[in-house]
Amino acid sequence: MLSPLMATLLVFVIVTALVTALLRDVLAVIIAFAAYSLGISIIWVLLQAPDVALTEAAVGAGAMTILLLVTIAQTVRTPGDRLVERIELRPLAVAGAFALAIGATVPALPRVGDPDAAVHADAVTGTYLAEAYSATGVENVVTAVLAAYRGFDTFGEVVVVFAAGAALLVVLRREVFA
Amino acid sequence: MSSEGREATYVESPIIMTTVRVVAPFVLAFGLFVMFHGAESAGGGFQGGVIAGAVIIMLAFAYGIEPTREWVGSSLLAIAAVSGVVVFAVVGLGAIVLGGGFLEYSVYGIDHASKYGIELVELGIGATVAGVITALFFLLAAGFDAEEVDEA
Repeated sequence: MLSPLMATLLVFVIVTALVTALLRDVLAVIIAFAAYSLGISIIWVLLQAPDVALTEAAVGAGAMTILLLVTIAQTVRTPGDRLVERIELRPLAVAGAFALAIGATVPALPRVGDPDAAVHADAVTGTYLAEAYSATGVENVVTAVLAAYRGFDTFGEVVVVFAAGAALLVVLRREVFA
Repeated sequence: MSSEGREATYVESPIIMTTVRVVAPFVLAFGLFVMFHGAESAGGGFQGGVIAGAVIIMLAFAYGIEPTREWVGSSLLAIAAVSGVVVFAVVGLGAIVLGGGFLEYSVYGIDHASKYGIELVELGIGATVAGVITALFFLLAAGFDAEEVDEA
């Protein structure tokens, strides 16, 4: 069912996620988080979602790590007395309940590659796959949906990215980007 | 005070400087490839923009954040960040002006209008993303001066 590579990656991702949550040293946490993102991006490649994988690798493992590193470079590193964070019961209970609630929905998901899954059986998917090339002239259906069929949403995303830059200017009380 | 901390984090290393000098053009080329080639293969403006922005961040790691900040200049970043939104808005709303729907590329009446339109939009997205990623890096590196805020 699970290929050995996929099983290894899933274990790796869970371990790095736990390490990210548990370690006390912030620098180590950032490195573990980058490793987690890299693992997730390889999983996306195996699930044949290269666009998402590229985004996860570039943003999650790359840009996010650099921005976090630059941020903690401003702080003082306290000599750590403990290696791992003290685990508190109440947040653990909340996180556990959340994980259970999310986990309970997993059996309802269709199997990967299931031809009867809603996303494959739906008429919209068929229309996109059949007409994207003749209608837009681009071979990557993801791009066709992104920049043509769902272009208005993407316009909103670009504005959000721009707004993120503007918001940081406001928070840091600066007027120029550099 | 924050500038002292920054100088302490920068280590001038001939190995890093040489590596970045060799690698940077290829990374920039790859970023532009991902941006341009998003129509035919995986990728697009968002991913390519981050990779292109990473070139500036690499240069900052190799040659120091302050010299790179001065070399890039804030107006270039602002122009890049704004241009994507403007390009997208002009291409999208232009179609409405010409009597079509938002982003209805075919009303522009050129061959392969939607293909070129999509690539133009992707380039715009890439410019905004690259500009904002670089700007976030420079802004976070400059940090927050508590005294300035107290005076304000």
